[in-house]
Amino acid sequence: MNLGLTWRLLKGGGKGMLGTWLTLGAVAVSTALLLFAVAANFAFEVRGERGAWRNPVPATSGAVAVEASRYDYVRDQAITVVDLGALGRAPAPPGMPRFPAPGEVWLSPALAALAARLPAGELADRYPDPAGVLGDEALIHPDELVAVVGHEPGDLALTAARSDDWVIAKPPTKVADLAGTPSEDSEAYRMLALIASVLMVVPLLVFGGAAARLTVARRDQRLAALRLVGATPGQVVAMTVAEAMIVALAGALVGAVAFALAVPLLAGIEMQGGPWFAADLFPGPLILAAVLVAVPLLVGLSAVIGLRRVVVSPLGVARRETPPAMRFVRVLALLAVLAAFPMLSRGSSVTIVAVALGLAFLCVNLAGPWVVGVIGRITAASARRPARLLAGRRLVDDPRSAWRTVSGVALTGFVAGFLGLLSPGAFESEAGPPQLRVTAPAGQVAKVTEQARRRLAKAGVPATVKASDRVVVAALGSAADAAAVDRARTALAGLVPGRTPTTKTDDQRFGVQILADVRVGTIVVLSVSFLVAIASAGITAASAILDRRQTYGLLRLAGTPLEVLDGARRAETLIPLAVMGGGAILVGVFCATPFMLGGISTVGAVTLLACVAAGFAGVIGAGALSRPLLRSVTADPAPRPD
Amino acid sequence: MNDVLVGRALAKRFGQTVALGGVDITVRAGEAVAIMGPSGSGKSTLLHCLAGIMKPDSGEVHLLGRRIDAMSERRRSALRRTRFGFVFQFGQLLPELPAEENVALPLMLDGVPRAQAVRRAREWFGPLGLGSMETRRPGELSGGQAQRVAIARALVSRPAVVFADEPTGALDQRTGHDTMRLLAEATKHNDASLIVVTHDPDVAAWCDRTVEVRDGLILPSGVRA
Ligand SMILES: Nc1ncnc2c1ncn2[C@@H]1O[C@H](COP(=O)(O)OP(=O)(O)OP(=O)(O)O)[C@@H](O)[C@H]1O
Ligand SMILES: [Mg+2]
Repeated sequence: MNLGLTWRLLKGGGKGMLGTWLTLGAVAVSTALLLFAVAANFAFEVRGERGAWRNPVPATSGAVAVEASRYDYVRDQAITVVDLGALGRAPAPPGMPRFPAPGEVWLSPALAALAARLPAGELADRYPDPAGVLGDEALIHPDELVAVVGHEPGDLALTAARSDDWVIAKPPTKVADLAGTPSEDSEAYRMLALIASVLMVVPLLVFGGAAARLTVARRDQRLAALRLVGATPGQVVAMTVAEAMIVALAGALVGAVAFALAVPLLAGIEMQGGPWFAADLFPGPLILAAVLVAVPLLVGLSAVIGLRRVVVSPLGVARRETPPAMRFVRVLALLAVLAAFPMLSRGSSVTIVAVALGLAFLCVNLAGPWVVGVIGRITAASARRPARLLAGRRLVDDPRSAWRTVSGVALTGFVAGFLGLLSPGAFESEAGPPQLRVTAPAGQVAKVTEQARRRLAKAGVPATVKASDRVVVAALGSAADAAAVDRARTALAGLVPGRTPTTKTDDQRFGVQILADVRVGTIVVLSVSFLVAIASAGITAASAILDRRQTYGLLRLAGTPLEVLDGARRAETLIPLAVMGGGAILVGVFCATPFMLGGISTVGAVTLLACVAAGFAGVIGAGALSRPLLRSVTADPAPRPD
Repeated sequence: MNDVLVGRALAKRFGQTVALGGVDITVRAGEAVAIMGPSGSGKSTLLHCLAGIMKPDSGEVHLLGRRIDAMSERRRSALRRTRFGFVFQFGQLLPELPAEENVALPLMLDGVPRAQAVRRAREWFGPLGLGSMETRRPGELSGGQAQRVAIARALVSRPAVVFADEPTGALDQRTGHDTMRLLAEATKHNDASLIVVTHDPDVAAWCDRTVEVRDGLILPSGVRA
């Protein structure tokens, strides 16, 4: 058997290339998004590691320094203040040329710029005469506000007790080096990122598989013909898979370049209060290589699975027979996983939740084709007009391909249902004029109160200062604006060593930040899912037309109006989309219930609705895009199978 | 005069290729006409022009006295659906529809209620030797059976003219002959005219007369290849 001939037979004519281009495009999109999902995890890890030095680990022996940290605030931003004192020959902290001398202050670039911009009485006076600017290695993100303050190890700032809330402050700790360990909140962010990637990667895999089968589907008939003239299964498989993998590799490279080009844009997505260092978003060479190898392999594997039918029976594809009914087991699998969900709770480990989510996601995907088949049977049985009948029969005939068209949006519906209700409502904001509070050391309440009164008077900030229990409260006048609050903060800086006077809003800053970040993350995940969903809807719609262009063409010759063919196509997508999209959202909501805080959030519900609307519009639009293709393939007066 | 379909001075070129060089043809009611000729001589092009699938560059096509070649694509499409029937070589049946729904489809497209359309479609199965094949899908039929389903579909809306382009081209000779006989008989039985393109002289023998096409022109009648 002549290999060259086989190859040409496989390739077919001009329209055969369209499938190849579609595959290449699909693989490129998948790879770019996959890199994004993977890179996001590493990016959070890198952030966590760069911030680790501010989270001291107690030394077991040979302490070289004392380290403590707390948050300070300016306007609505947090400043991380790190207090350092050398016990011996202490090494230089990250981003600094040397260990800070007692009394020295080092500021991050963003804090230095802000201090220069605001009146000195609002910020600069808290950190007078900075000795230098911190390098990027000390910072989580480029806009971060960080101050490093040097002390004698015996200074009150490094001996006094601090808030015992780990979020707000780290008490003075003797350390053997300044490596530290990633903080609890950075670990929490990494876990959330992991869940987000699981939610993004599953639809990506489904999409990639659909794209791979696209190359194969277009070859079905030619392959069957080749088998009939005696090509060995090995030859047929090897050639098709080789081609699919070459196309996939090209697509993966294009995707990687597209991702690299998009990094500056992605770096602008604010998380933990600021944008990213672009370098953090670039996956390491090993990871890049792994993705570039894994994508073609997965596509090749998908192609082999798609080919199995042809190879097993050379007649199988040439003659379309009634497909075996989908097994109900698929639905049972989904029900089994869903049954396990109520056992989870907010206390469950994040890994277990991620695994359960992934399983639920996969099972929705397994049950999808079965449900589509049932919908098809109902549609066909109840159809009165030809378009409906065609759509219904087609759904029954190939529920898998119909599911591929809508799976993206359905799975996104799952994500939207899960995340939409999960975002808890906003924190309540402080009512009335701002009040700054600081806890005074035992026995010094009166002294601190008096000092606060004097300092505020000197700074010209009208306030009434009172103590309740050990908390000294400075209630600013009702005319106090953000600038006045910052003047008061500056005036009270260092009043109680190691403690920051804070407003209610300041105390909620951390929670508000996480909430904002979860919301940003949700939007990112949903956008990615939607891109995938719409791309896959477009691709499957186009390939469905290519697959059956001969029949469509002959029907049109015989006078079937294009609108009927197009209407059938639309119904074929819309009916399962409505049922499956709705179903998936409900499953997503169900999976989210064990983790819900309080009631349903309006913002979440609105996001959810917006997503559903956008998804429907996107899929319909993607389908409409292939209408010119339908017109062009049916315009040929002598349609032939290539 | 009972001329059903008349083509006058039909000409069609594809770039440099002259596919039709000014052809006159008349088909009478109930008449079966075979179009024969070597490959590339313009048979399919002639058929497409007559059926309103393709617009000729010049010349006219009249159906029952009405000119159809100048109509809009939409009207020609409706005409093809209601007044013409088509049988192609293969691939014209929708693989996911059962045979009876494939046959009923043209009726449904014309607004006949589904139940009635399917009932009328079923009536064709017995006479065409397709008893008990109503609910099979095209993939479960033999090539000859599938062509008979296609014949039923072409005739179900009682067309004036049935066009067939090499309807037996994909069948073995024996099955081809059987199918052709059924096609000729069924069209005659329905008072429809038949225009069939074929390479097989035996198939042509089932028709009332044969038209020979050479290089885009019709040879004088009576000349047989
Ligand atoms: N769409 C087209 N574009 C360009 N040339 C065409 C096209 N359709 C037909 N032709 C040319 O017009 C001439 C007539 O073609 P036609 O298909 O009518 O031949 P035919 O008699 O049906 O041949 P066959 O018996 O092989 O089917 C041929 O030379 C063909 O190459
Ligand atoms: Mg021809």
